[in-house]
Amino acid sequence: MATEFHNLQELRQSPSLATKVFIQRDYSEGTVCRFQIKFPSELGSRIERTLFEDTVKTLNTYYAEAEKVGGQSYMEGCLACATAYFIFFCMETRYEKVLKKISGYIQEQNEKIYAPRGLLLTDPVERGMRVIEVSVFEDRGSSGSSPSSNVSSGISQR
Amino acid sequence: MPGSSKSGGVGGLPSPPHTASPSRPLRPSRYVPVSAATAFLVGSTTLFFCFTCPWLSEQFSVAVPIYNGVIFLFVLANFCMATFMDPGIFPRADEDEDKEDDFRAPLYKTVEIRGIQVRMKWCSTCRFYRPPRCSHCSVCDNCVEDFDHHCPWVNNCIGRRNYRYFFLFLLSLTVHIMGVFGFGLLYVLYHTQQLDRVHSAVTMAVMCVAGLFFIPVAGLTGFHMVLVARGRTTNEQVTGKFRGGVNPFTNGCWKNVSHVLCSSQAPRYLGRKRKPHSVVVQPPFLRPQLTDTQLAAKVLDNGIHGDLHRSKSSLEMMESQSCDAEPPPPPKPELRYPALSRGHQGQHTEESSLLNKAPPTPTMYKYRPTYSSPGKNHTALTHAYANQMSRGDSLKESSSLLQSSQQPGFRSEPSLDGREAPGERGGGGLGGGDRPGGGGAPGSGGGGIPGYSLGGRSYPSFSDPTVLSSGGGGGASHSSSVRSGSAHNATHVSEATTSTSYKSLANQTPPPRNGSLSYDSLLTPSESPDFESAAPDMSPGHHRTPAPPPILGYSSPYLSAQLSQQRDAELHQPSASSVALLSSPHRAHYLQESHPHSHHSQPPPSSAAPQPPHPHHHHHHHHHHHHSSHSSRPPRFSRPPLLSDSAAPHHYPYRTRSTDTPLAPSTHPPRSPHPPPLGKSLSYSSAAAAEMQYRMVRKASASAGGGGAGGGIHAPKDEIQMKLFSRTNGQPRSSISSSGSTPSSPSHPISMSTRPGQAYPSPGNTQSPAHKPGGGVKKVTGVGGTTYEISV
Repeated sequence: MATEFHNLQELRQSPSLATKVFIQRDYSEGTVCRFQIKFPSELGSRIERTLFEDTVKTLNTYYAEAEKVGGQSYMEGCLACATAYFIFFCMETRYEKVLKKISGYIQEQNEKIYAPRGLLLTDPVERGMRVIEVSVFEDRGSSGSSPSSNVSSGISQR
Repeated sequence: MPGSSKSGGVGGLPSPPHTASPSRPLRPSRYVPVSAATAFLVGSTTLFFCFTCPWLSEQFSVAVPIYNGVIFLFVLANFCMATFMDPGIFPRADEDEDKEDDFRAPLYKTVEIRGIQVRMKWCSTCRFYRPPRCSHCSVCDNCVEDFDHHCPWVNNCIGRRNYRYFFLFLLSLTVHIMGVFGFGLLYVLYHTQQLDRVHSAVTMAVMCVAGLFFIPVAGLTGFHMVLVARGRTTNEQVTGKFRGGVNPFTNGCWKNVSHVLCSSQAPRYLGRKRKPHSVVVQPPFLRPQLTDTQLAAKVLDNGIHGDLHRSKSSLEMMESQSCDAEPPPPPKPELRYPALSRGHQGQHTEESSLLNKAPPTPTMYKYRPTYSSPGKNHTALTHAYANQMSRGDSLKESSSLLQSSQQPGFRSEPSLDGREAPGERGGGGLGGGDRPGGGGAPGSGGGGIPGYSLGGRSYPSFSDPTVLSSGGGGGASHSSSVRSGSAHNATHVSEATTSTSYKSLANQTPPPRNGSLSYDSLLTPSESPDFESAAPDMSPGHHRTPAPPPILGYSSPYLSAQLSQQRDAELHQPSASSVALLSSPHRAHYLQESHPHSHHSQPPPSSAAPQPPHPHHHHHHHHHHHHSSHSSRPPRFSRPPLLSDSAAPHHYPYRTRSTDTPLAPSTHPPRSPHPPPLGKSLSYSSAAAAEMQYRMVRKASASAGGGGAGGGIHAPKDEIQMKLFSRTNGQPRSSISSSGSTPSSPSHPISMSTRPGQAYPSPGNTQSPAHKPGGGVKKVTGVGGTTYEISV
């Protein structure tokens, strides 16, 4: 006979992952890192379109900045050559710096916008910059009550 | 070195490889070239510094050894970076990501890059669609971003992250060799009287080594300089992707060069410190306010949204891949007997891999192996089989191809009818299961082997009745078992539903070869492609011989056989070709894919030149030889003449091992699908197929003088049409033409399972009616696949 009691609060506090939505890369301009701004339908009921699109657009600008071939990257390359690439042990490359910025941005977006809506963005770099993974969490608020009631009814019948 | 994720062979000792996959065996042979290269480089330069430089610094200036020292340091630094740096390996995709793409997702995804269609292939090892320019290196067993080639001299892939260092290594090595040779020559010229001294002898030896290596290295350097200027990778150059086409990845010479040399160091994907998610997700969750339109849409949505998505995606895929469509190559004789081929993997690896490498069916008709656990057995088996099959150069690609083709959804039997008559299908499937080898365990319903064997056979073995029948039977049993709700079979069903059309359209299932005398006598492998192209043939309005019934959009083996019979003579005519249309482009792709430097590849599909089917057969063999001599052939592109004879450095182009396919020809004649005339269709393509079939039937009836068969054709019943025609296999031309009305019987739900079961094992049945005099006898197939002869 099971003597477990399931607290409704407990059930509420661990939202389960319902699904994952993947935002694919936009290759229309070549292999430059860009993500599709198309709003996936699965998120239609979870987040406003504008918020999501803003996030993706900002990420795109970050990546464009990271991959920009300009003065800073040129100087970095020359310096690396001159030091036989030992500089890479000491210094962070431009791309890495921007990736850190992106990571911070995603964290902030998660905290402010996505987590309250039961979503979670995963940094694309963890997926090889192929997709933006959006984890959609199940809204336990509605489903949390039934299991607990079942359990309690089951126990009460003993 | 920063960013290194693998150890190199510097030092010449076979140290245990620190690889991404822990199960990789130790292979000391991999370290031989890199050890040799290191030894030569370091050894020769050290000797130069010890024996030649002292005199040079005294004689001329101390700047000489300093200059040489700097150059040598540069060479070493770039060499180490090229050797130890992660080339841009993609981490394997999570299981969740794979599920998203669904079980019926095709093997290829087309994406448009600056107006040019580029195909992204599904990597079965890494579980994602390879981004453009990405390729899977079989040596390293990784997908590498902007894959250039696998260089044995540094024992590493050259990709996005380390291409710059590789290029600079080549440049600096060329300069270094020239310097060493030049200064050594200077020394020797000044010491012509003292050539017997040790110093002179060593200098001359170093000069010899330098001179020997100069030619290949300089040639390679020149080659890469051209590549950088053009914005191409070695892989693309060697596989001829942009030969005669436009490279969508180039930004102009200057920008290409600056991108290679001056862009910021790309980040590593592997081995990153994963920040733990510090964000807590807790309900209750905010929900966006639905606008009025959204609410209205929700109200109207009756749950078919998902289907719409599916059909839409299929539509998109069809449109985008329309120019990608390629007919399957003629079946390989080895794959006719799957058990045999499986048993003789070693012998048939070349051929099977040759076959597997080609994208025989239009891309959208291929299915990736499923990733979900129910299908894992299946996938594992397909992997195993595929891996067995493809031992040669083709690698993951062929295995993935085979796996995809082994998807149960790839059955020749569309599952639409299966749904309606599960019993019959099951029965037919079981009947078909008796087929030698091909039967596998069709009744087992979704076992890995039957699934894969069916798919695999029906797909490649063009003319294998066994495969087809078993495929059909297995499919039937699968679909019937699907009803029982097994998850594994559910995937097949889901595949079948959406892609019934895929299957039928793509159905390259050739006429059965064995077990059916009529087929054998009438069909040759080269003829089979004729039937596949029926569908595309229709839309471009390709003129077909009027007498025989028009080729159905969905080539079923039966249909193919029948058609081949009828159009025996016409098979070799160039006009026959939508077949040629399909098959040649397909061929070209196939050729291009498997043989990066095959000059024999047919003109790109864009030319769409109708070619007689026969050459396909020859091409197959040619392919075969080509493939076997793959490694020893010089690449097709205009190599620097210097490289023509050299030994080792030339190997690198062959080590590409990339399985990327050439650029999809954008000018391939597209199939223009038309809206289905009647009935409902689960997907656009199935509707299109139905439409084509409808037209064909109309044509047939018109040509047959009012067979009146056109009516009653419904989209879901297109397979029935197939069956009908297949049923009439083996019949003489006259009867076929007169039986133009046979399609009218499609209104009867005909079980597909019976068809394969009966058609193949009992060629006699079809044969006897076949010999009936053509005058005034109409063959009509009724329920249960029985054939009625009606005198007209």
